[in-house]
Order: sequence, then structure tokens, then C-alpha cells
Amino acid sequence: MDTRRHLEWGVLSAPMVIFLLLFLGFPALVNIVYSLSSVSFQTLRSPELSGFSNYVTVLTDGNFWRAIWFSLRFGTITALAECLIGFVLAIFLAPLFEKRSWLLAIIMLPLMVAPALVGLMYRLVLHEFVGPVPHYLWAWFGSAPAFLNATNAFWTLVVVETLQWTPFAFLLFYMAYRAIPFDVREAAQMDGSSAWDMLWRIEIPLMAPTIAIALFIRFIDGFRVFDNVYVLTGSGPGGSTRSLSIYVYEAFFRQGEIGPAVAASVLLFIASFAVLFAINQGLARRAR
Amino acid sequence: MHRTLLKSLTLGLMAAAAPLSAAQAAVTVLGWPGGPEETALRAVADIYNAQDGLAEEDRVEVLFFARDGFWDKLQADLAAGTQAFDLNLIATYSIGRYAPFMEPVTLSDEAESVYGESVLSTMQFEGQQYGVPTDLSLHFMYFREDLIEALLADADAAAVYGDISEEYLGERLEPKAPDEWTWDDYAATALYFTQAVNPDSPTRYGTVLQMQNLLFNMMVWQSTARSYGGNWMDDEGNITVDSDAYRRGLELYKMLYDAGATPADSTSYEFPEANAAFVSGQVATMLQWNGAAGELTNPETAPAVADTVGIVAPPAGDEGRFTHIHGLGFGLNQNAPNKEGALAFLQWLSTEEAALAYAANSGAPALTPEVVAAIADERPDLVQLGEFASQYGYVMNGATGANALSVYELQAQHFTGYWTGQETLDEALAAVASGMEDMLAE
Repeated sequence: MDTRRHLEWGVLSAPMVIFLLLFLGFPALVNIVYSLSSVSFQTLRSPELSGFSNYVTVLTDGNFWRAIWFSLRFGTITALAECLIGFVLAIFLAPLFEKRSWLLAIIMLPLMVAPALVGLMYRLVLHEFVGPVPHYLWAWFGSAPAFLNATNAFWTLVVVETLQWTPFAFLLFYMAYRAIPFDVREAAQMDGSSAWDMLWRIEIPLMAPTIAIALFIRFIDGFRVFDNVYVLTGSGPGGSTRSLSIYVYEAFFRQGEIGPAVAASVLLFIASFAVLFAINQGLARRAR
Repeated sequence: MHRTLLKSLTLGLMAAAAPLSAAQAAVTVLGWPGGPEETALRAVADIYNAQDGLAEEDRVEVLFFARDGFWDKLQADLAAGTQAFDLNLIATYSIGRYAPFMEPVTLSDEAESVYGESVLSTMQFEGQQYGVPTDLSLHFMYFREDLIEALLADADAAAVYGDISEEYLGERLEPKAPDEWTWDDYAATALYFTQAVNPDSPTRYGTVLQMQNLLFNMMVWQSTARSYGGNWMDDEGNITVDSDAYRRGLELYKMLYDAGATPADSTSYEFPEANAAFVSGQVATMLQWNGAAGELTNPETAPAVADTVGIVAPPAGDEGRFTHIHGLGFGLNQNAPNKEGALAFLQWLSTEEAALAYAANSGAPALTPEVVAAIADERPDLVQLGEFASQYGYVMNGATGANALSVYELQAQHFTGYWTGQETLDEALAAVASGMEDMLAE
């Protein structure tokens, strides 16, 4: 029986394994080879092994660490902001959405726009001479902040990212909020719980796994941000808005530094794997 | 039944394959999308295809993909040995990077008399011709004639101008006509027309600088350094950017930015943002690519300023006036599936007939005086283009090498860092000089 079951598992999982090997395993292997090689666009098919020099180059590059810092900061702040706003909207607007569910479609609209287009849109919206935001600020206050200068660009990007992706967090929280059984709330009310107690002691604990997943997904998305940042500010004055993805892109295509670019992406892969592994272990332990 | 089915399938496959093989047999040209270059290429391709007796397999088809990341995508395609196009766009500053994936070409006998030797050289690498120079890019100083005339005619305004120049530049200057400007005159004019400096200014800003961390913005800026005698390298190959000339050019931009003479968001501006600022009527001067002339002088696209836009060559430094030049053109993909047809099109593209057709359809070829005379009434800007290119045009030493784009990228990062106060001038110049040593030594 066991043998037959193993065979069935093997057959059923084979397409997925083959898919992963072809589309993830092969590129990963090529990346590892390139990261250990001296390679250029002319020698893509004949790289020469050069040990760990690419890794040394990356790890001693100040721009790499600045990009890591930008990505960490950006990922953390946007994930927290999106989840906080999404949570508040989900809780306080839930009664409204239950009566008028079509409003959900409106809230979801920002998710329908490609991030690069969002970047392009805000490039126009925030431009001092063609954008509506600076236009009205000038008209009402006689001046407008420089949204994309070196001082403000980071926070402008945070706001743009938050405006686009808060609906995603909202949707998760709204579904989790609605999934709380009615009898649980009813029982709490009969026990005399206040609205605050209900939220703090019943609803938030029941929504905690969703909150954790939403925070994690939004952090990952923020950490690897590329499109809208690249379109809005490029890597920013002095590289001030260079995320890790932009660092890898620029090293690869703009500077032709293929080995270091791939080494940086391998380092990123290792770090991501370590974090995911730790989270998985933690969840498994908690489940036991 | 089976035979009928088989026959139907075979015919169906043949029908499906027919347009594919025709497309593969045609000459495919990858062009620069979304601007006058696309319009011009489409027009000359139509003219070429309309020739009597042109074989079906030599017909030209044009192909475009987005401008964003164009050169990166092209590099990836060429390195992968693409056969998707026979001819592709090349630029002076990237020939060295793409030459390993391209083939030198021989142009028509007319090419030298049509373009002249110096313009043909913008498509050369290591002594070999890699393409036809279809468009030349350089810089114009655009200015508002109405504002400058008013300034020149008003003694009180001249006194204010003198006070401002004394305060910001340490020297009392008098207003001058733009064609006589030094960089200090330009800066004083920009400051005078800035409301943050001169509350009576009719415009919000005196100029608009393109300060985004972008390689093309270095090409716009570097004529300041060049006019003070700056260069990437000396004749012995020593990197020379850490010089007084570079310092003066960089400090000029920083002073204007800090004084508010350019929008505070200029650090995110490139070509379109700067044009948008200028056409708003709130900016008095702008150093910009010649490609903007059509938009800025067209009443439909620039209703607030089109009638008052003046154009001169960039201002002078101690060493004279200079403008960066580079050419865009078309060269032969090493893996072109139809090399013969592609070479035939390139030969035709380098004739006088093709060059004039290209110019008549919005292109910007730099033509010799004898050739441009035929189209001077229709395209007076091309006469100016040729004059400025021959009198003030320059290419920095090393700026056609394989790593030229990387050098521009490096400069863009550190010089924008200096302008926005994230690096000191010494740090920025030292980092650029050190990086260039590595890049240009390779």
C-alpha cells in the first residue's frame, strides 16, 4: 500500500518537479555558475571561473549596502502602513461593504494598474507644471513641496506604493474579518464585552495569522520593489532611491557587471531562503 | 477522408507559413521609437519599398520597441544572437559596446559628400564604419526672446541684474544678448529671472536643469566642463575629470539649484519634464537637445512660448563654446538573416536622395552645406544643426569606447549626489576618477 501510495505521489508531483527544475532549477544553476565567473555579454556562453571574487566585489560595494538599507526600510515601512490602513478600513467599513458590496470593486481599482504605469502616472501627477497636485498647492498656498527631490523622494515613493497596495491588505483583512463566526461575537456580547474588548481580545487574535501573512507578503513585495520606483525616480540623485532590484538591474545592464550583479541576486536568494525557512520552521513548531 | 484531411492540414500549414517566411525574408530594421526618428524611418522605408524592381525579399519592414531600457534590451538581444532584425539602431556612445555583435559596413560613394567626414566618424569604431549617421544630436540654448529683449532695454532691470550677479557670482555683470553669453552670463540671467532671487521676475524660474541620475543628463551638462577645458582623458590616457574645469561646471549647476533658479524637482527631470517646464511659460532659459526645437517652437505644442523662443549655441567658457554631439544611425546585426538585403538598404540610406527624404520627414541628419541647401527653406533648423556641429561639436576622449555608457552612469550617480548635497565635490570627483580609471583601462 505504501509503495503504491509513494508511486502515486511521485507520478502526481512529477509535473511540478519537472516544472521547478526547468524554470527555477536551471536558471538558478546558471546564476550560481555566473556568480563564480568572470563573464561579459561577449562571453555569456563561455564564462571563466573566478572563485568568489564577484561576491567580494558586491560585499565591499557601498552601493550594495545602501540598496539593502533602502529596500529594508522601504519594505518595512510600506508593509506596516499598508497593513495598518488596510486593517482599519476593513474593520470600520465592514458594515458598509456588507450592505453595498459593489464598493469593493472601487477599492480594488489600484490593484488593476501595472506598477510601472503607476510610476508614470505619478510622474505626471507630481510634476510642478503639468501635475494637478502641485498646481493646486501653488494656487492655494503659493508654493508646493518638491515631491521627488533627494529629501522627499523616499516618502513620496512610500505613499505611492501604499496607495496602490493597501487594497490588497484590506481585501485579506476584510475576508478574515468576515470569516469570524457570528456565534463567537454573539457569545462575547452576551458576556458583556465592549466593542474594544471584542476587537482586542476576539477579532485581532482570530485574524492574527492573516495579519502575519499580509505583513510578510507586503514586506516581500516592498523589499523587491522595482517598477514604480525606477519609472518615478530611477535610482535617485546619488543613488538615494536605488532598491536592491534596481542595483542588480543597473549592475547587469548598465555597467555590464554581470558577475557581481548575479552574485548580488544569489545573495538575495540565500537571504530570502533563510528567512522563509525560519518562518516555516516557526509555523511548523507552532502547529505542533 | 484521411487524405482530404491531410491535404487540408498541409495547405493550412503552408498558408500559415507563407507570411512568416515572407517576413523573415524582408529586411527588418529596429528603430528608435516614439519620436521624429520613427516618423523619418517609416517614411524612408516607404520610399525605398516603392522603388521599381525591388525584390520582395529586399523590402524593408520597421520594428520598434519601447524607449525605456532600449539599449539594455538591445544589448541582451544582440548578445543572445537574435535574428529578429537585420539592422539596428546604434549611437556614438554605444558603438564600442555593440561592435562585437555587429559587422562593419561599406556605404555608398555619395556618403562622404552627403554627411562629411566628421559626421561619418560618429558611426566609426576602431577605424571602421559601423553605420549610417541618420540623426545628429547636440544642444541648443533655448531662451525667451521677449524676456531677454525687455531686460536688455531696461536700465533699472540691468541694475538689479548687476546686484544679483555680484551677490551670487562675485562679479558685477551687465545683461548681454544670448549669443554672447558666457556661463556666468547664463547663470546671472537665470538668477535674474528667478522669483526666489528676484521677486519681480516675470517667470518662476530662470532656467530648468536636467539633474536626474541619468546618463543622458551628463551629456547635457558636460559642455560646461568642456568649455572650461575639461575632458575625460588627456592624450596619454590619464583620467582628467578631477580638474578645475569639472569643478567649475559642477559648482555652476549646484549654485543654480541651491538658489532655486531651477525647479526643486529638477533632480527627477530629464528631457520631457524639462520641456514641460519650459512650455509652461514659467522658465526663461533652457539648455536642451536640438530634438526639442520642433516641440518648443510649435504653437500647438507650446502655445505659451512658441512665438518667442530663441535658439543659440551653448554659452562659452574660458576655452570657447562647445556642444556635445552624438549620432544615431543604423548598423548591421552580425546575425542578420538577410545581410545582402540589409546592406543594400544601408547603401541606399547613405545616398543624397535618402538623406533628403529622411530630413524632409522630421529626421535630423547633419548634412554638408551643399546638400542641406536643398532643404534649407523647409528645415532651417538643420542648417543651424550643421553649423553648430561643425563649429562647436566635440566628443570627449574615450566617449566612444566599450564602457562609455558605464562612465556616464558613474558620473550621473556621483554628480547628482553632489548637486543634492549627498556627497562633497571632492568625494564625487574622486569616486568618478577612480571608477573611470578602471572602466577606461579595460
